[in-house]
Parts: sequence; structure tokens; C-alpha cells
Amino acid sequence: MSTKQIKASMIKPGLATMTAGLLLACGAATAPMELHSAEDAMLNAEHSKAPDVAPVKLEEARQALAKAEQAFKDGDDEDHVKTLAYVAQRSAELAVSVGNQEFAKKQSADAMKDKMQLQGVLLEATTEELADRKKLEAASKIGAEEVARVKGELDKERAAREGAEARAAAALAQIAKVSQEKRGMVITLSGEVLFTTGRSELLPMARQKLSDVAKALKEQGYKHLRVEGHTDSRGAPSQNEALSLRRAQAVRSYLVSEGIDSDKIEAVGNGSREPIADNATADGRANNRRVEIVVDPVN
Amino acid sequence: MTYNHTRIGLALASVLGSLSALACGGAAVPHDQMTAAEANVSAAEAGGAEDVPRAALSVKKAKDQITEAKALIEKGENEKAEWALERASVDATLALAIARETALQVEAEKALAEVQALKDKSKK
Repeated sequence: MSTKQIKASMIKPGLATMTAGLLLACGAATAPMELHSAEDAMLNAEHSKAPDVAPVKLEEARQALAKAEQAFKDGDDEDHVKTLAYVAQRSAELAVSVGNQEFAKKQSADAMKDKMQLQGVLLEATTEELADRKKLEAASKIGAEEVARVKGELDKERAAREGAEARAAAALAQIAKVSQEKRGMVITLSGEVLFTTGRSELLPMARQKLSDVAKALKEQGYKHLRVEGHTDSRGAPSQNEALSLRRAQAVRSYLVSEGIDSDKIEAVGNGSREPIADNATADGRANNRRVEIVVDPVN
Repeated sequence: MTYNHTRIGLALASVLGSLSALACGGAAVPHDQMTAAEANVSAAEAGGAEDVPRAALSVKKAKDQITEAKALIEKGENEKAEWALERASVDATLALAIARETALQVEAEKALAEVQALKDKSKK
């Protein structure tokens, strides 16, 4: 039976039986069951994957079936026909199996390709993720290092400032009386040291002291300075006031000449209005004759 | 005995031999077919046919038919023995094919499952 005949038998499944029936009508033997089974197996093979992927095996099966059918038509020994039909059936089944093998191989090969492609995509994604993570880690490390560096610098600055302030305070304490009052830090310089009686020109020794004070103030830092002149109660108050102002201005001018910012320093004359000691005694009056520098005055 | 006598003698022996073969079923003992069938069975077993039920059944059929062929040879029915061996051979060949098919299908299913797993992973 040719391929065309096989396809015809697919359209008319009873063809083989009909052929056998005709042969019987002509006085020949009935086609053996094995031949029918072989034809069924062939039909199955034609509908399987074999035509596409195992055409050689399928052709071998077709030829085996044709041989069996020819042997039957030729009236060969029944056992021989059965054997040929048996072989044809197994050949058809073999074609189906080989077709399935080829299909499975193709599936595996395609899957392998897909797998490699997907692994590539995943590897790329993982690499990118790792790179991003590394970048983030590096960035956060840099961030942490930067924070630590800035903090270190700030700590150093603070320590330096505190040290400078401490040194300045110590220096000031050696030069003049320093006290912390409600109106701010007050540096008190004795009038005896700064001026001769009734005068407002600074004594050479006063200049030295004021140079040290200016240096200490610059080291310590300040926002505003107020230089206040004070006298004892002897003499006319208006004269005392004018004298105290001139003395305060003299101190201010000198401090400005030593680098104190002129916009941040003022001079006021308080006369004898704010004594700190008894004006009845010589010592008391000496204490009242003074110049005070108020650092960062509150009012 | 002359040369001609010798030729006649050999021709007679040949005819007698043929007649003798016909008397014993008309065919020679199918040694080659037996060897081929047994080799096919061994190949099927080596190919893992015993582990696949459908293939194992075909191997059994092949072995049974080899046994049948041996019995037929014993009875001098060499032609029928040859047919039995043809059936045995094709059963053994089919058994090996089924075993291979099963193994390849298992392999393909595994590969497809791996691809699916990777697809699922790439979606996450």
C-alpha cells in the first residue's frame, strides 16, 4: 500500500476490511487480525510526530505494511503474513517512538537555549544589582567617612576654641580683674594703671596691658564690647562724666588700633554714678576710678 | 574416479542436500536471525528497557519468541523459527526505542521545568 493508499484508508478506515471481504468473496482467506492491527498502527503513526521528524522510519513502516499486504494478496502462508503484519505493526510503533524521541530532543535543545538566555538575563540583572549595591555601600561609606571627618573637625574646632577661651580668660585674669556678671563678662582695669590723675592719655604701661587685653579678646571672640569709664565722687559730676567718657574713648581707640573691630566696640562715660567702693576712703576712691570692658553686654 | 565423475557426484550431493532440507521444513537453521534477535534483546536490556513497563513487556515478548524459535528449530521447523525470530527482533528493537523515548521525555520535562523556574525567578 502506497502513502496515497494509506491516506485513502485514513478517509475510509474500513478499506482494509473491505479488501479482505472482497478477497473472501473471491474465495480467498480472511485477512488476519495482525494485518488490521498493523494498518491501525500505521494510521496512528501517520497522525503522530513521525511524518515531520522521523520520515525515514515512517517510510520503512509503510514498506513493511505494503509487504505484508502483498503477501496476503499473494496468498502466502498465513503464519508468514501474520509475521509480516506483526513486523509492520511494530515498525509503525517504532516510527511513532522515534518521532517522540526527536520531539523530546528538540524540546530539550530549545529549553537549553531558553535556559542559557534566561541565565544570561538573570546574571546581568544580578551583576547590575551587585554593582548598585556596591555603589550604595561605597556611597554610604563615603557618607559615613564625611560625617566622621566633619564631626572630627568640629570637635577639633570646639576643643581649640575652648582652649583659646580658657587661655584668653587666664591671660585676662593675669592682666586685669575679670568677673562674670549679669550684664556680661566684665574686665576691670584700674584707673591708676591707665591714666594719671585728671588726664585721659594712656600711660605706657596701660598700652601694654591693653595690647594684651585686645589679643585675649580676639582669641576668645566677641560680638560686641562696651568700654565704660568710671570716676570717684570728687569734683563736679559733669566734669567726672566728661573725664570718664574721654578715658573710655581713649581705651576704645587703643583697642581698635590693636585690631578690635570698630563697629563692635562703643565707649560710654558713667562718671561717678556707679561706684563699686566707698568714696570716703582713699582705697575706695582708687577702686572707683576704673575702666570696665563689658564683653557681649546683655543690655 | 575421473574429473567428470567428480562433478556429477558433487551435483548429486547438492541435489540430495536440498531435498533433505525440504524434508526438514525447507529452510536452513536461522542462526543469523537468532544471533540478531538475541543481540537486540541484550541492547534493549542495556538501554534500560527493563525499567520502563511498556519496554519491559516488549522485551518479554521478544524473549518468549526466541524461546519459541528454539523449540521450532528443535522440531526442524526452521522457517517458522525464522519468522518467530523476526518478530523477536522487532519487539526488542521497539523495546529499546520506548526506553530511549521515555528517558528523553524525562530529560525534556526536567529542562522545561528548569526554564519555567528561571522564568518565575526573573519575574520576581
